[in-house]
Amino acid sequence: MNFVTILFYFFEAVAALAALSLVLVRNVFYGALILVVCLLSLAALYVLAFAEFVAVTQILIYAGGILVVIIFGVMLTAKIAGKPLVVKHTNVLSGVLAGVSLFTLLVYFLSSHKFFEDQKEAPPSEDAINTIGFGLMTEFVLPFEVAGIVLLAALIGAAVIASSIKSKKV
Amino acid sequence: MVPVYHFLWLGAFLFCAGLMVIITKRNAIMVLLGIELMLNASNLNLVAFNQLHPAHLSGQMFALFVIIVAVCEAAVGLAIVLRVYQYYQTSVPDEVTELKD
Amino acid sequence: MPDTPTHYTAFFEICLLLVVLLPLLSFVVSGRIPERYSWAVTFTAPLFLLISTICAIYVFTAVWHHQPYSAKVDWFAIGGTMVSAGIYLNDIAALMLLVVTFISFLVHVYSTGYMAGDAGITRYFSMLGFFTFAMLGIVLADSLLLMFVFWELVGFSSYMLIGHWTEKEEAAAAAKKAFLLNRIGDAGFLVGLMLIWTNTGTFDIVQLSGINEAFSWQTTASLCLFAGVMGKSAQFPLLTWLPDAMEGPTPVSALIHAATMVAAGVFLLARVDFLFTPIALNTVAVVGILTALMAALSALVQFDIKKILAYSTISQLGLMVAAIGAGSPASAMLHLFTHAFFKAGLFLCAGIIIHVLHQAQQQAHEHFNVQDIRNLGGLRKKLPFTFLAFIICGSALAGIPFFSGFLSKDAILTAITIWKGEAFSWKWMVLASAFIVSFITVIYTFRMVWTIFMGEEKLTASLPVVEPPMIMRGPVAILSISSVWLLVDINPFSFEGWLFNTLHSGDHFHIGAISILSALWIVLAVSAAYFVFRNKTIHADLLLNNFYLDKLYFKVVGKPSWSLAAFTDYVDKRWIDGFIHASAYAQVTVAHLVGWFDRAIVDGTVNGMASLSRGVGNFTRSFQGGKIQGYILWAILAIIIFLIWVLF
Repeated sequence: MNFVTILFYFFEAVAALAALSLVLVRNVFYGALILVVCLLSLAALYVLAFAEFVAVTQILIYAGGILVVIIFGVMLTAKIAGKPLVVKHTNVLSGVLAGVSLFTLLVYFLSSHKFFEDQKEAPPSEDAINTIGFGLMTEFVLPFEVAGIVLLAALIGAAVIASSIKSKKV
Repeated sequence: MVPVYHFLWLGAFLFCAGLMVIITKRNAIMVLLGIELMLNASNLNLVAFNQLHPAHLSGQMFALFVIIVAVCEAAVGLAIVLRVYQYYQTSVPDEVTELKD
Repeated sequence: MPDTPTHYTAFFEICLLLVVLLPLLSFVVSGRIPERYSWAVTFTAPLFLLISTICAIYVFTAVWHHQPYSAKVDWFAIGGTMVSAGIYLNDIAALMLLVVTFISFLVHVYSTGYMAGDAGITRYFSMLGFFTFAMLGIVLADSLLLMFVFWELVGFSSYMLIGHWTEKEEAAAAAKKAFLLNRIGDAGFLVGLMLIWTNTGTFDIVQLSGINEAFSWQTTASLCLFAGVMGKSAQFPLLTWLPDAMEGPTPVSALIHAATMVAAGVFLLARVDFLFTPIALNTVAVVGILTALMAALSALVQFDIKKILAYSTISQLGLMVAAIGAGSPASAMLHLFTHAFFKAGLFLCAGIIIHVLHQAQQQAHEHFNVQDIRNLGGLRKKLPFTFLAFIICGSALAGIPFFSGFLSKDAILTAITIWKGEAFSWKWMVLASAFIVSFITVIYTFRMVWTIFMGEEKLTASLPVVEPPMIMRGPVAILSISSVWLLVDINPFSFEGWLFNTLHSGDHFHIGAISILSALWIVLAVSAAYFVFRNKTIHADLLLNNFYLDKLYFKVVGKPSWSLAAFTDYVDKRWIDGFIHASAYAQVTVAHLVGWFDRAIVDGTVNGMASLSRGVGNFTRSFQGGKIQGYILWAILAIIIFLIWVLF
């Protein structure tokens, strides 16, 4: 067991515990923070999986973008300012049943497949970021452009929907 | 070298956790958080499977696009939540019953 | 003598119908006249009866000595048997028709005076007409069944008339008694009818008279019929109602005694005497003479003027019945005929005495019982007309020669004499009793006349008594004239006049010796009465109370009936009501059980189905009830199931 493996287990455990506590937590604000923890540990796992660019993107976009937006949302939807937004649970039993049964199914299938044979000792590609940049501009240029348009449309749409200029109660 | 199935187990766990959050929480923002968690679980799977074919970076590319879509989804979803909150003074999805017959 | 049956014209039939229907019309019209115009009834009712009487005279002349008239229509059918109703008018019926209408007419006329000012005068005349109609129905009926119907109607109308003064308790009780005793007799009549129907299958009198052989059932049947006669004609043992019936208005008594009610029994006997076997006839004779003797003895000591007359009627009826028992309906009918006139006359005279004394009492403000002969006396000066009429009618009753009663009684005595035969037997007792009865008859008649009209005035001395109006004297005069011997025959010592010879069907008989003996016997009786009983008052509680028959009946029948009634009442209350209550409780309990079953099981099933479907509906609705997280849950579950199904 080397240092990398220890790190992997550590972050894996953090991510799993964060996900579990997200299921159990009742304060929305705490939930957002726990999600940040989970996403950051996932970013570390990406690094361990030789996906540095994805990890960086994860940290930038999720931790820096989405989570900030979500925390703003939490604050805006609190009915009384200063009071923590506590949620109630519903469908507890059936939700747990569905999640556990799905997890059991997935674990069963995963353990019945042998992925070890397919795994090769891939050399750490030094130019992964470079390759990605080339890929985006050549092979994946069309999805890249479409993604840009989608982002634009989503930004405009979100701004229009959330704007309260015409928000009159019917 | 970390075995792939570790990632897959973790992804499965995160996916199911996200699912449980979606089903059980009575708050639209928490539902959005669960969705994010599920998207990240799929991202983890994509990145993990990318290890099996290091020459191709299709897995990482997919993960990037998923992140982009997640951003869009989060932005639009939060906008809708805010709008609904303004309109109904609630963020509990069950209480939004205007479309019900 | 027999004519062709077709000589009866339509006019005759119309007259016959008028005779019967005019009293009925009188009943209807009198009943419909309102209270304010009740005086009109005193004109309409006698007028109807007058027309009826005139028609009856015509009918009588047309039928007398001719072929009997008969007509019938189908009445009703029981199964395959047709019962017919019709008219059978022979000589006897025609005679009765005349007598009934004539006496009824006179009573109607007399009643207009007697009942003037009475509150219930419309009801009175109405029932008088109905009474007459019912009696005419008996006379004309050609079948025993139809006769029974009218027989009952007579009983009903007599009940109404005896109890006319409903405010008098005695009158109501007397009416009830008459009705009940008649019912006893009528029950026998009904049984007799059933017997006759069972054995012959017909009620028709003409067909029944075709029976020549004597069957054993005839004795029973005829005795049953005789039971009906006992009730109607007040024979022993059902005789006690007639003296009590004196509580009714006096004209009604006259009608009952003379023509309508008590005559019905004798008429029935004469009509169906062919049914009677020798044993039955002997019974009839014994019962008749026993009744005659008892009633004559009772009449001897009565104080009430009307009761004396009532007992004398019973006595005379007993003689008639005995004559029929002796096999001579003709002499019985003859006596019935003569008796009708003089007894009606006597009653109307008694009515006059009562009426005028009442009026005088009201003027003088004195009150005593005017019907008690002990209070009367010496009235011959104040009521000379009534005295004369009473003497004539009373002489007829007593059987004094030169009066009609002598002849008819003579006929009866002759009939019994012949019937007794040569050999010495118990039948001699009957003959002796008949002579004793006629002797006593003379004595009580003499006593009545003497006490009322002779001697010195007692309580009436100070009363301003005057003769009644002509409307009341007229009928009395007519009846008195009809009581002399000329009504029967020109020869005052021969009863075989036009009447007897027509009615009598067998060998003619006449024993002159009986007439002479009878006349001598009567003279002896009159002299005995004058010299022995003139100033004597006989006291005999036994006779005064008519041999305590009433008390006997009360002890033997009344008391046990009351005990039985009390017992049945107890049983009814305790057992039957208890049973009914128990069953009611049981029913209520069962109803509660059923109600519970209805609510819990039946309604429960329905409600269960409803709530089940509501639950199913809620369940299925929850899949698309607007709960987004629920949608997701179900979608996931579906995916899981899909995975399991596909991958395993």
